[in-house]
Amino acid sequence: MIRAQRTPSPADAGRRVYRLLIVDDSNIVRRRIERSQHFEDLQVVGTAGNGLDALEVFAATDPDVVTMDLTMPRMDGIECIGRMVELKPSVRILVISALADKATAVEAMERGANGFLNKPFSDRQLNEAIAELMRGA
Amino acid sequence: MHRSRSFGRAPLLTVGVGLALALSLGVVLLAGFRLATELNGSVVALQTASSLQTYPADISREIDTLRERLEVRTYAGRALDDLRGTTTRLDDGLADLARASAADPVALRAARDSWARFHRELDPVLAFSGQPYRDSDTAGSVLSTAGRAHFMHVRRAQLYAARHAQALREELGKVVDGLRSSASTAALRLRGLLLGGVLAALMLALLAVHLQIAKGREERSAREAQERTRDILRTVREGFFLLDSGHRIGPVWSDALRRMFGREDFAGLSFQDLLQDLVPPATLATALKYVNLLWGDRAHENLMKSINPLAQLEITTESERGGKETRYLQFDFHRVMGPKGVQHVLCAVGDITSSVLLARELQDSQSHASAQLDLLIGLTRTDPLQLGSFLDTADAGLRLVNAIMKEPARGDGEFRRKIDGLMRELHSLKGEAAALELTSVAERLHALEGLVEACASKAELSGADFLPVVLKLDELLAHLQGVKEIAGRLMLTREPQPLGESGSIGAALESLAAQLSREHGKPIRLELAGLAQVPAAYARTVKDCLIQLLRNAAVHGIEPTDQRAARGKNGTGLISAKFAATPNGYELVFEDDGAGIAADTLKRAAVRRQLISEEEAAAMDTRAAMALMFRPGLSTADGVSMDAGRGVGMDVVARGLQSIGGRIGVATHPGRFTRFRITLPAADRATGAVA
Amino acid sequence: MLHEQELRIFVEGTTNFFEVAAQQPATLGSPYLAEVPPPLHEYTGVINVSGKREGVVYFTAPKAMLAVLLMKMQETDFSHDTMRDLVGEVANTISGNARRDFGGDFLISVPSVISGEAAAIAPKAGARSFIIPIHWRSHSAKLVVSLG
Repeated sequence: MIRAQRTPSPADAGRRVYRLLIVDDSNIVRRRIERSQHFEDLQVVGTAGNGLDALEVFAATDPDVVTMDLTMPRMDGIECIGRMVELKPSVRILVISALADKATAVEAMERGANGFLNKPFSDRQLNEAIAELMRGA
Repeated sequence: MHRSRSFGRAPLLTVGVGLALALSLGVVLLAGFRLATELNGSVVALQTASSLQTYPADISREIDTLRERLEVRTYAGRALDDLRGTTTRLDDGLADLARASAADPVALRAARDSWARFHRELDPVLAFSGQPYRDSDTAGSVLSTAGRAHFMHVRRAQLYAARHAQALREELGKVVDGLRSSASTAALRLRGLLLGGVLAALMLALLAVHLQIAKGREERSAREAQERTRDILRTVREGFFLLDSGHRIGPVWSDALRRMFGREDFAGLSFQDLLQDLVPPATLATALKYVNLLWGDRAHENLMKSINPLAQLEITTESERGGKETRYLQFDFHRVMGPKGVQHVLCAVGDITSSVLLARELQDSQSHASAQLDLLIGLTRTDPLQLGSFLDTADAGLRLVNAIMKEPARGDGEFRRKIDGLMRELHSLKGEAAALELTSVAERLHALEGLVEACASKAELSGADFLPVVLKLDELLAHLQGVKEIAGRLMLTREPQPLGESGSIGAALESLAAQLSREHGKPIRLELAGLAQVPAAYARTVKDCLIQLLRNAAVHGIEPTDQRAARGKNGTGLISAKFAATPNGYELVFEDDGAGIAADTLKRAAVRRQLISEEEAAAMDTRAAMALMFRPGLSTADGVSMDAGRGVGMDVVARGLQSIGGRIGVATHPGRFTRFRITLPAADRATGAVA
Repeated sequence: MLHEQELRIFVEGTTNFFEVAAQQPATLGSPYLAEVPPPLHEYTGVINVSGKREGVVYFTAPKAMLAVLLMKMQETDFSHDTMRDLVGEVANTISGNARRDFGGDFLISVPSVISGEAAAIAPKAGARSFIIPIHWRSHSAKLVVSLG
């Protein structure tokens, strides 16, 4: 079903390269996500440390996949997710957060996030989650 | 799905077979009718042709008779009439054959041509009328002039007949042969057609029978499958049911549900009604939203399991022995896809009580072992004097906690009043434990804080809700006892370390800054000044206050390195704490060069925590918004980590300062800095520095 | 370390008694810890526990509370012996619950009864006691769990 929503891009003709944006206010986590993704068809196009910056980078880089922290200064992840989905309904967003409060996690999903990964996470969990995200529902 | 498809196919096939049967029957009948008509024509023609075959001979004979009569001068009229009749009949017969068109046209034409020639020879004979004789006296009756001509015509016809009658007969014979063969061909075709029709009907009948059997077999196997499904649903230990888009339970569910929920009326029951009495309203609301996500097309089923609010649901049920028992249920949700997207949501409910309890025991023993190790490592790093001081503080703090617990309470209000005090005390102790890197102690304080916080979210508080708190408190006290014992042994073997430049407050802050910098991946430089001058009377409060401010600055204030770079700032965050005497007392300025605090962020957080309404937030000016940060229960961090986000912190700072007559003010510029200015009244300087 | 489940079983045994015997549930006050248990009320029912855990669990209640409880139970005899019987019953219920729910892990004694405020019960050495106030109507009793 998600697949049907995928907007075709010129790259579809050959091998599709997914563009990844990493949003997290922690340097360590950002670097970890950058390091741990081993997908040939995934390319990090930008990183941001808060919601407002993330929207700027989002507009500039047009990513297909976003990893999103919820706890961030300036604009939190929930609001940021809503804006991104408005801007580009086909974007796929993986929330990566240490959030213990499931109501907020579900709210993030309601705003349009496609999946949720708990911090702390292993490289394997992260890779699996991103693979799942790219595969479609 | 398998069922519905095969049942859909059967009627279509039956209709097809019926149609084929009707069609082939129509073809057989139509073709049969045409063939029969054809055959009938051939047979009639054959009869005609066969009877015509004798005519040439008849005609020859009749001419012979006519000649004989004429020769012996007897009455010849009768013979001539016979000849005329036969000729007419042959004419008519051939015309009939030509009309019927059943005969071979070539043979028929040959016969008709021959007959036409024959007929021409006969014509003068047939045309004769009148008397052929005249009576003569000499010779009796003689031929008249016309009679002589007639006789001549007869003789010529006789001569022609003798020569050609046989040929005509043979040509008529050929027509007969043709007709006979075409009749037999038609008969053969008719027979073939009938045979084919019968065969086709037979095959169709066989097919129908086969289909009927297959359908029966399918129905039987569907029935068997249903029975097997029933068996499974009866015996399986998990509870299974399907939810439709209206969150109602479908008619098929497993018997285990009966045991788990103690009811029978699952079919048609709404998911909400099922959980209403078992789940707190907030969790239920989240659970319903969660299930709704599965009906949408954005959420990935596998990527939302970790936020399933019903992944481990604690319920209290009547046990078989009559008492109450706590059980843990795990709800698992799966999309069931149909041709038009999500058709149902399959819900599997497992009783995970034993595994939960086992995991808990394992965790207990594991955390016990790792706590011992952590403790040792933490203790070897800790300055024994600081440790001793912390243990005293902790002792006093936990006594206070227990005293708060001991305050008699009966109603919700009295219980609720305890929460703030407990949170403040525990939070401040946790800050100190973390500053000393006493992880095992800090973790326990963190857990205890979590338990108290859990009480705050309960609807109607009673003593039972505080049982986990008092148990954890007991465990914490036992743990601290262990720390004391180990620390006692360590102190015997270790030399006390010299105090840092700025005294123990400074050392604690340096250590905490290093730890936070490491954990959050943010380079931080800490500038301290004048902390050695903090009067002893203020030492504890100032230390608590600075620990809290440092924590907030490192976690919320200082941006990640790349963001700082983007803003043109130095990659290393600068945090400073400067303490100085003033004419009226003291001033402590705490500053970080981080992201600053946005009034909107505070307002949003306060609205989300329901501290203020949307309307109040909209009406609030920046100054009032800044004051929100000192309200209990506000934190801008959504996550709960050891370092921030519990919702206490700044209120601890404010209250602590109030208690010693101090005041706090804040100045901030988004993107540039946050500065807290704390003023303290003059204290008895004679007590000198530090703690 | 005492588990929550274990503590709850003792607590529920006590509150169950009020609910069943007097058709009026008792509520829990704010629980706390004590190194030296608080003084006893007039009547106290005690069970000794051994096995996986060792120590004492007791229910101590003032005379006034027991008197109202007896009234609610339609009793007309408010003598000293009846009061003793009553706290004995409470202790019995607690030990019954505990036997049923703990199975063989715990060895639980037949309850004994102590009367008089001057009496004292030695807590388990080295263990802090859990004090759980039990409120019923306008009265308060205490459940003390002292296990090591």
